[in-house]
Amino acid sequence: MKIDSSLPLEYSTEENRLKIFGFWIFLGAEIMLFATLFTVYFVLANRTGNGPTGSEIFELTPVLFETFLLLTSSFTIGLGIHAMRLGNKKAMMTFFITTLVLGLGFLGIEIFEFITYVHEGATITTSAFLSALMTLLGTHGAHVTFGLFWGIAILIQVAKRGLNAQTTNKAFIFSLYWHFLDVVWIFIFSFVYLKGLIS
Amino acid sequence: MKELFPKQHVMGFGFSLLLTIVALSVVTLDMSYNIAFTILLVTALAQATVQLVLFMHIGESEDKKTLYTSILYAVFVGVITIIGSLLTMIWGYQ
Repeated sequence: MKIDSSLPLEYSTEENRLKIFGFWIFLGAEIMLFATLFTVYFVLANRTGNGPTGSEIFELTPVLFETFLLLTSSFTIGLGIHAMRLGNKKAMMTFFITTLVLGLGFLGIEIFEFITYVHEGATITTSAFLSALMTLLGTHGAHVTFGLFWGIAILIQVAKRGLNAQTTNKAFIFSLYWHFLDVVWIFIFSFVYLKGLIS
Repeated sequence: MKELFPKQHVMGFGFSLLLTIVALSVVTLDMSYNIAFTILLVTALAQATVQLVLFMHIGESEDKKTLYTSILYAVFVGVITIIGSLLTMIWGYQ
């Protein structure tokens, strides 16, 4: 086991380094997963059948709030990791809790958005466009939901065991996951909502 | 308190907010579809780069060459899937 003291605690053992490395490979697989969902959406975006089109149901204001919440949560978890590297457990936990609250806010707006669609008669079975849209948004939303539970589990471990080689490694990997969800959302924001509103 | 807000992260956050506002201009301003699409493409890729480099620290470990390669490879496969499907199912090639 090689220990490199110039790297942060989460890289401190061979196993930790491999876990971070492996998670990046997993993120590569996630990129391809979302690429296929985007493919389905782009191919079917004009197949609206008798249902509404994107520009008819998309509303800019809630989407902007979602974007702002997720961008900010990505910022706060970055600050959380920075505080963790300074060894400041209290600040790290505060930033992580802030992140999860912002994530919950994002999810709340997204669920509200889905309910609005269904009330407007735009359900997942209405048209190929809506099936593709809701599969893409739903997969992202499911990732955020999973991330909320994962984040809570990490907070409990940090609270109980403090910042050690294991907990910092888990927290860092979680931060990679959360930043990745923000990247996916940016593409949804740009190529689903904004593109849908102009065409 | 100040040490908890490193300049790199604050700048990255400011930059991503700025990019969101620029992307938003395609809806608020009147422009052709091609220009709008180009703006969206540039801002989204810039956002992703800000996240990867400033927030996810992709370049901080000794594995960085492998990490960049595997992420770029995944993006490559993703782009081929998207463009290839659009080519065969929507745009046509004759």
